[in-house]
Amino acid sequence: MASPAIEVRDLRKKYVTHRGTFRRTKTENVALDGISLAIRPGELFGLLGPNGAGKTTATKILTTLLLPDSGSATVLGLDVVRQTSALRRRIGFVFGGERGLYWRLSGLDNLRYFADLYGIAPDVSKRRIGDMLKRLGLSGREHDKVEHYSRGMKQRLHLARGLLNDPEVLFLDEPTIGLDPVGARELRLLIRELADAGKTIFLTTHYMFEADAICDRIAVIKKGSIVAEGTPGSIKQLVEDLGVVEFEAAGVSPDRLRILRELPGVSSVSVADHEMAQLVTVHCVRPADVMTQLGVILEGIELQRVSSRDPTLEDAYVQLVGEGESQ
Amino acid sequence: MTYVRAAAAAFYISMRLRFISGFAIMGFLVFPLILAAVGLFVLNKPGTTATQWTYGLLGGGLIGYWGITYLDAGNGIQIERWNGTLEQIFAVPTPLWVIVLGKALGGLVWGMLSFIPTIALAYFGFHALLPQLDAGRFAISFAVLTFSFLAIALSLSPLFAMWRWAFTMINGFELGTYVLCGFMFPITILPGWLQAISALLPPTWGTRALYAATTAEGPHDFVAWWVATVGLSLVYLGMSVFLFRLVDRRARATGELALV
Repeated sequence: MASPAIEVRDLRKKYVTHRGTFRRTKTENVALDGISLAIRPGELFGLLGPNGAGKTTATKILTTLLLPDSGSATVLGLDVVRQTSALRRRIGFVFGGERGLYWRLSGLDNLRYFADLYGIAPDVSKRRIGDMLKRLGLSGREHDKVEHYSRGMKQRLHLARGLLNDPEVLFLDEPTIGLDPVGARELRLLIRELADAGKTIFLTTHYMFEADAICDRIAVIKKGSIVAEGTPGSIKQLVEDLGVVEFEAAGVSPDRLRILRELPGVSSVSVADHEMAQLVTVHCVRPADVMTQLGVILEGIELQRVSSRDPTLEDAYVQLVGEGESQ
Repeated sequence: MTYVRAAAAAFYISMRLRFISGFAIMGFLVFPLILAAVGLFVLNKPGTTATQWTYGLLGGGLIGYWGITYLDAGNGIQIERWNGTLEQIFAVPTPLWVIVLGKALGGLVWGMLSFIPTIALAYFGFHALLPQLDAGRFAISFAVLTFSFLAIALSLSPLFAMWRWAFTMINGFELGTYVLCGFMFPITILPGWLQAISALLPPTWGTRALYAATTAEGPHDFVAWWVATVGLSLVYLGMSVFLFRLVDRRARATGELALV
């Protein structure tokens, strides 16, 4: 069996912040609380978790941008703490969002600059940048300043930059965040293509459907700890005994939600704003019982829609990370 | 070779970014001109000595030169942080010092432009000349002074990468150096304890040599001043090696690179 492309053992990291000038108070936030992972070469691995769960910290440690407090991590057999220079030549990374580019320069200038910083020979970089621009749909706009690019174009430029050195492992930290549905879908297809072409991809996201659609395997992280790991199918199986009841209503008070949570067989209740109403999702063992009780608990409140369905990966995720924490 | 290409790329990009920055153009054109004009108006009276004219003629340009070099060292890192590109340039195989070196060299070239408007103002506006200029010594003094600016820029940049709060000290140190290194007036008029601090700053000696090369008035200990400038600059460069290594550990430990 081939050795893992990425291997993480008992990785821990906490951030220390200080407040106050004269009365200094120290706060410690645990970002990673002993995570362990092994990712095979050529695998598209997804790390899922809510905001602040430790996804970005894990990515930054693996891309040599952060030091762990303890534990070990290797990428392509190279230690992320000590063998940074050799490792940086063989990996690429893309962080979500619009920052990280020189907006007042053209897309082409951005790529040429980073190609030089990666030590890529000029003839190779010229050819590769041309290929990349074509592949990512930026041809014809490469001389425009980045500030005139759409968000999707900026993200594709980020990806082009991340691929400049033809990395064996590519780290993508929430790459589709903020993109419109079409742009996000195109980017997901591209990521899948890269994985199919043999690149190992480490993807973080909090979009369940994204992980479900493209990842070979996923891990769910919560408060710095891995709470589940497996294929999307196997993660779904974790909640196969559960059913899901959803209803829309307006003005459901916290007290009524508490009563709902305390019903026998209910494992979680999450609430999301949906237009002018609340969309309430109840995970439970016996959906029929819950639906019967709804009329009593929500007496006087007009229910706009009530339905029952089988659990999805998102439901599994909500179960794993806990209600109120899913994004 | 790859490091040379990377430094050249950083130099090129830093120059490109300056050409399109109104603030950068103000930095080499307007601010030094204002300072030079003030100095020259003060000196424009009967009895002004050649030495005094030298301060008026070169002081504004020197302030612009230093200001741009120094601001580039600190502000350049801070702008990378605001852009979100500091992490990106940190995570490439090229060491950060190579990139900073390229950017600092860009700052030096840009900073030298400060002399064009200030000397033009002195010449055309006040008919100020330096008839006793020793061109050879002036050129050597200017070269060692430039080396000292580069050494300071390289030793300061890691501080800005490591600590965001370092940026808040930028103005104080920039203005303090005008006084401490004798850009606008001789440091001999400063209190003794301040002169002791001045002596530890390499540009002090380079500036002294530069101004001495424009006048016949002594003393003229050029070799000693050049050696002091280069020697102190090498100490600063040594410090920068240590600081860049420290950045590699500390910034990665605290995660400061990503913070704005």
